[in-house]
Amino acid sequence: MSETSPTGVIHDIGYRHYTGPRHGRGYAVRALTVHSLRGVFGLGRTARAKIIPYSLVAIMMLPAVVQVAAMALISQRPLTYSGFVPAMQVVLAIFLASQSPFLVAPDLRFRVLPLYLSRPVTPRDYVGAKLLAMTSALFLLIAIPLTVMYIGELVIDMRPGESPFGEALGPAVPSPDTVGYLGSMAFGLVYALLLAAVGVAVASFTPRRGLGVASVIALYLLASGVSVVLNAVFQSTSDDVLASWALLVNPFFLVNAVQNWIFGGVTGTGLDYPDMAGPLGALAVLALIALSTAAMLARYRKAASA
Amino acid sequence: MNTVIAGITYRALLGRRRIWMLILLPLVLFALAGLLRIVGADDERTTILLMQHFAIGTMLPLLGLIIGTGVIAPEIDDGTILHLLSKPISRPVITQTKFLVAVSLLVLFAALPTYVTGSLLIGNEGGVAAGFAVGALAGGIAYAGVFLLLGVVTRHAVTIGVTYALVWEGAVGNFVPGARRFSIQQWAKSIADQFSDSLALKADVTLGFALPALMLVTVIGVVWAGLRLGRFSLAGDE
Repeated sequence: MSETSPTGVIHDIGYRHYTGPRHGRGYAVRALTVHSLRGVFGLGRTARAKIIPYSLVAIMMLPAVVQVAAMALISQRPLTYSGFVPAMQVVLAIFLASQSPFLVAPDLRFRVLPLYLSRPVTPRDYVGAKLLAMTSALFLLIAIPLTVMYIGELVIDMRPGESPFGEALGPAVPSPDTVGYLGSMAFGLVYALLLAAVGVAVASFTPRRGLGVASVIALYLLASGVSVVLNAVFQSTSDDVLASWALLVNPFFLVNAVQNWIFGGVTGTGLDYPDMAGPLGALAVLALIALSTAAMLARYRKAASA
Repeated sequence: MNTVIAGITYRALLGRRRIWMLILLPLVLFALAGLLRIVGADDERTTILLMQHFAIGTMLPLLGLIIGTGVIAPEIDDGTILHLLSKPISRPVITQTKFLVAVSLLVLFAALPTYVTGSLLIGNEGGVAAGFAVGALAGGIAYAGVFLLLGVVTRHAVTIGVTYALVWEGAVGNFVPGARRFSIQQWAKSIADQFSDSLALKADVTLGFALPALMLVTVIGVVWAGLRLGRFSLAGDE
């Protein structure tokens, strides 16, 4: 046959067309974000999926409860606002590792990504929605305990007094420490952005949940392990400057150093950061966020075209 | 021991992206050792520090986790375990084979690099290198057994394993000395201590407790995993 006849035809077999309102791209992205954020905390998933996020939330609340109790009973602050996140870094790392694969792995594994991308949602929207969901989840995890501590501080009247043993009791920093609280809330967002960008990007490279969890946590453990070993080694050779730089290999101390540079005052971790740690650390944080986001965008562009 | 199952498991672990993580961890250990050499801090004390914090404290639990759950959990996740379970092979034999594969990989990626790093840094001085290598081997065997069991019991094996390794062995162990008695990492350290006569290395748990505990945990892990696989529900839990 010389004439080429069409081999595949889509017949209109009389299904009714959708004529209702269309909410468009913004609505779809918002829906995806809310769905992802709910999923991070196990809402809309099985009861088993709720155990891990909620127990981690409970652990994050413990220091706040202890703090409020200590302020009420002995007029002391065991923890500063800026020291809260570095003190709880293991819990945040476990939360990030256990929940970020959930955000990205099932869509890759069950190949539903084309279904999302056949809607007005673009790869960039998809990545944005997932990052926004993880960032908000981490921010909530950090902000709620901090706010509980702050409200406790507003309610409790901490006045300097004397303990039965004659030691001066009371806050070393004036109470309420509003600047410390607001600074830590702002940097809570920075922690959340950095962790979400790196964690979700690493997790998006494997469709397997278990391997995703292991990769994210391995990255954190490598960073903190290398930091601890280098710090101890340089201290033993009395290279104190190098030792303090080694601390910054740990992403939590990196952000803490920047926070300390901008808001000043106590580090909250009892660590000495090098002099130039603030500006250089800020650059490093921005570079890490940009790099992870770019890697994730590239990964999803490839997945979309495949 | 079933060679076909062993072959499949090796291929699944080494033929995918997982292998890059298995290679990355020892590479970081070598890099750190190289750095110690360069800054001239390659004495016995810093070597022990590196071994304790990195080789036993970070690399071994992570590799144990990735390999121990990796030999069985992905198959359960994918449902391809069905093909294995429907063959006339005893289920305990399946778990034993997978356990042996995990142990062999832990020797290759954890114990061997530990020995090489130790002996590159300080040679055979004080038996540190050999001690930590044997410790890593014993700890690796126990981790393989425990995490294999976790992989069979729950789909959240990696998260639970990470929480055990980080929160119990790490955070709780630092503040509550009693928790160290029930930590595979500390048992591995006790074995390392036994082999080396270095004064800088001090174990918190006696060998008389660590050795039986290691054996008990491993045997319970492997046997229980076999039993559990015996009444394994394919419908899954999620």
